Amino acid sequence: MTDDRPAADRRILRFVAFGIAVVLAVSGLTTRLFYLQITNVAQGVQQVAADTTVTQEIPSTRGLIYDRIGRPLVVNEPSYAVKIRPADLPDTERDRVVAELATLLKMSVGDINTAIDSNPGSRFDLVRIAQAVPKATADLIAEESASLPGVVVSVETQRQYLDGPLLSQILGYTGPIDAQELSALQSQGYLPDDLIGKTGVESVYEQQLRGTYGTETVQRDASGRPLQVLQTNQQPVPGDSLQLTIDAKEQKLAQQAVDWALKTAHLKSAVLIVENPQTGEILSMVSEPTYDDNAFATGISSKAYQALLNDPNQPLLNHAIAEQFPPGSTYKLVTATGALADKKITPTETFHTASYIYIGNTKFWDWHPGGFGDLSLQNGFAYSSDTFFYQVAMRLGVTRLAYWASQYGFGQPTGIDLPGEVSGIVPTEQWKQDTFGQPMQVGELAQAGIGQGYDTVTPLQLLDAYCALANGGTLYQPQVVREILGPDGTVVRPFTPKVIRKVPAPTADLQIMRLAARQVVASRMTYNLIDLPIVVAGKTGTAEFGVRDSKGRLPFHEWFVGFVPAHGDVSKPDSQLAVLGFVQDANTVGNVATEMVKYYLQLHFHLKVDLRLPALLAKGDFYGGD
Amino acid sequence: MGVLRVEPARAQQWAARSIGAIWRAYDLQLTIYALLLAGFGLAMAYSNTVEAGGAVLSPGSTFVRGLMWAALAIVVFTAATAFDYTWFKTFAWPIYIVNLGLLGLSLAIGDGIGGSARWVSIGPFQVQFSEIAKILMIIVLANYLARRQGRLDRPWPILGACLLVGPPIVLVVLQPDLGTSLVFGAILMGMLFLSGASLRWLGALTAVILAAIPIAWTYVLRDYQKQRLISFLDPSADPQGSGFQLLQAQSAVSSGGPFGKGLTNGVADGSFLPVQTTDFVFAKLGEELGFIGALVVFVLFCALIWRVLVSGWRSRDPFGLLVAAGVGSMILFQFVVNVGMVIGVMPITGIPLPFVTHGGASLISLAFGLGILQSVNIRQLRAEW
Repeated sequence: MTDDRPAADRRILRFVAFGIAVVLAVSGLTTRLFYLQITNVAQGVQQVAADTTVTQEIPSTRGLIYDRIGRPLVVNEPSYAVKIRPADLPDTERDRVVAELATLLKMSVGDINTAIDSNPGSRFDLVRIAQAVPKATADLIAEESASLPGVVVSVETQRQYLDGPLLSQILGYTGPIDAQELSALQSQGYLPDDLIGKTGVESVYEQQLRGTYGTETVQRDASGRPLQVLQTNQQPVPGDSLQLTIDAKEQKLAQQAVDWALKTAHLKSAVLIVENPQTGEILSMVSEPTYDDNAFATGISSKAYQALLNDPNQPLLNHAIAEQFPPGSTYKLVTATGALADKKITPTETFHTASYIYIGNTKFWDWHPGGFGDLSLQNGFAYSSDTFFYQVAMRLGVTRLAYWASQYGFGQPTGIDLPGEVSGIVPTEQWKQDTFGQPMQVGELAQAGIGQGYDTVTPLQLLDAYCALANGGTLYQPQVVREILGPDGTVVRPFTPKVIRKVPAPTADLQIMRLAARQVVASRMTYNLIDLPIVVAGKTGTAEFGVRDSKGRLPFHEWFVGFVPAHGDVSKPDSQLAVLGFVQDANTVGNVATEMVKYYLQLHFHLKVDLRLPALLAKGDFYGGD
Repeated sequence: MGVLRVEPARAQQWAARSIGAIWRAYDLQLTIYALLLAGFGLAMAYSNTVEAGGAVLSPGSTFVRGLMWAALAIVVFTAATAFDYTWFKTFAWPIYIVNLGLLGLSLAIGDGIGGSARWVSIGPFQVQFSEIAKILMIIVLANYLARRQGRLDRPWPILGACLLVGPPIVLVVLQPDLGTSLVFGAILMGMLFLSGASLRWLGALTAVILAAIPIAWTYVLRDYQKQRLISFLDPSADPQGSGFQLLQAQSAVSSGGPFGKGLTNGVADGSFLPVQTTDFVFAKLGEELGFIGALVVFVLFCALIWRVLVSGWRSRDPFGLLVAAGVGSMILFQFVVNVGMVIGVMPITGIPLPFVTHGGASLISLAFGLGILQSVNIRQLRAEW
């Protein structure tokens, strides 16, 4: 009956071929099975033991942070975190689980979804959803675990910043590691659900603070869930602690001065920095407006974060280092020091000052109508005469002006141990060519000589330059971390001042400039600052920026930077306290920055007098130049 | 779409035959091998239930559900045997439409496990329609190719068969269920090969598929699928992640040794990871029943495939031959790929082990296919010598 099958012969071959394929395939499997089960038995059994146990990390305790007196600024609080293992969360369940979590955690659905989708690890790694979850909520989620597949509640420690916004700009905060950080740090033992220092010293000293994770052998069930700890292979080593140069009490005083000035003048943004000129230690650093680092440590909502990002006053930015501004008249220190050191002028040589001088065919105005007549250097500096310094700058020339600026540390980051520092601009011929494709104009040189035009500095750079003046010419690298302490409290890294360079000006010239700075105060250019029962020397500055108004006037920032000689004699380079005040966009009757620094000095020295002049902080119609 | 045509001729012949003739034409071996394999599956379900600490006979336990599915499978098998398979030829096109409908339905309303839409809940049962779809696809393809006997030297029937299988494969890939789509491919190739289609054109088809692999890799496969596909090459590269399953499976098998640890004595509880719970059942089998037990299973599979092929060979109706080719290819492919995956020579694809995996739909589907083969067997009007 086979004749009615077409192509039957061919089919026989095909069936035989199929049969051979079956035999070959099964033989292959059998061979492999034989290898696994018969020849490999001893090894295999061991492997089963090894595979049901895994090695996992034991987190180390993160180091603490103290102020210079030893007051704790950050502590580790036990807290609950909620995490999700995406592999255990079915896609169809995801919307429901996320919605339920959002209700329980009072988070937005979007934030949770973002967290899951930006998971830095694999699907089998835990993704951090929320930290600092209240115990009641954590208990509830743990109880509901049957209906929340993939959701895990774990106990961990969380950073608590005891002073909140007071030190946020310096301390920074920790937050969940992101994909980029993880790929860079995975080889150093970072885990996909780790917390990591995000900014401030928390980020700069991440390595020291983190410590070393230990390892333990854990028995787990076949699906990978840990059952019990079998043994600890390596104890975790707690992280080192930091002792800051910051004095929390001084920081509070600085904050008080800033708050008063901003409130009285109805302004938003100011900086106050206090530095020890002999060491470069930063005693306090306030940048307003700021934020609360606890909000980040406990997991900030995307809405709150957006609000911070969109604030025009940029509370997340440390204005002391991360932004650059025209220095205004404070920069005349550079012009004067350079001209003296280069012997372009002598201390006694006089220049004629007037309402304006001609440079080419353009009038260059003095801030003071009519000028001051003939002035020598000290009075030119004291009165901050612009026409005086136009002439000095032109004698010095653009190259030497830039040289002295960079000797004072401008145009380069100070190297402070905080993230996000910018370098500022010192205009040179080269810079002008590179940036604008044009040579430097002589008028621009004159502008640079009074700290206008292209010059920009960070408040910290400016303070550090005046510290070099105050200490006789040593430019120190500012530091906010004094010592690093081991877990047992021993000093792992002692404090050493770091010298950037010696400013190559003769000590005599620097002494002249210190006296000139004292003359600023003595001449009552700073109103009643001279009446404080301590000796203060310094320089004010008013820096125009932005867009001219209908009358052709520019808004301006206000500066005061000064120092207090240790024994009341500014001719001696012994000052241990230099202060910088900077107020942004301040159109006031008087210099807000000077008032702010004055108030800080009153608080710092516990002075019995109160010489604040709130009237100077009223809205003025001043606009431009001093 | 084809026109429905009733073919009543066979019904009378059926009625006219004696029970003895039917019994002689019935392939008892085929049934016995299938029952034995299903018995292994139940044994593993029993072992799992005991190890999980549950009462073996409590409703809802893996074992009880396995028993229920087995009972249902026997009903389906018997019904399919009794049913005149020639009706399938008549209704091939509607079956094809139903097939696409079921797959589309699971895509639309399916419950995902680990991010897929394979399962559809019907009452207490979760049914994986793609399992049923395999056998329906075999019927449709068998009908299509059987009607083109004698023209299989040319490329057009091959192309047509590919076009028929295309839509279901796409629907299954979308679920996403990579494994089942591969099974469809294996069924197609096996049926074309055994039907006697031109080797030249089959070779061309194979070349096209090989050429399409890089494209599929780039555009179709999801990251986790790729990760799973390549992790078998070096499972220790990511032992905590996608390689975890594989290392666990291999070490479990390896620990079984020649004679195994005995039922219910395994370490691995069969649920290596939330997904693919049951696809790794062979790891447990290897661990508890050892090399000897696994070898018995291998032999049973060979014997079963042999009987399936014999059924096809004996069928004078090309449809019967093609159904046998499809069922045989399906069983062989799933068996090799599943066991290969567990013992580390094949990538993880999520293909169940026929009869042994405790997946209801897979068992029903197999019972249905084997039932059709028995139906073919007993309706071949063999001369009673």
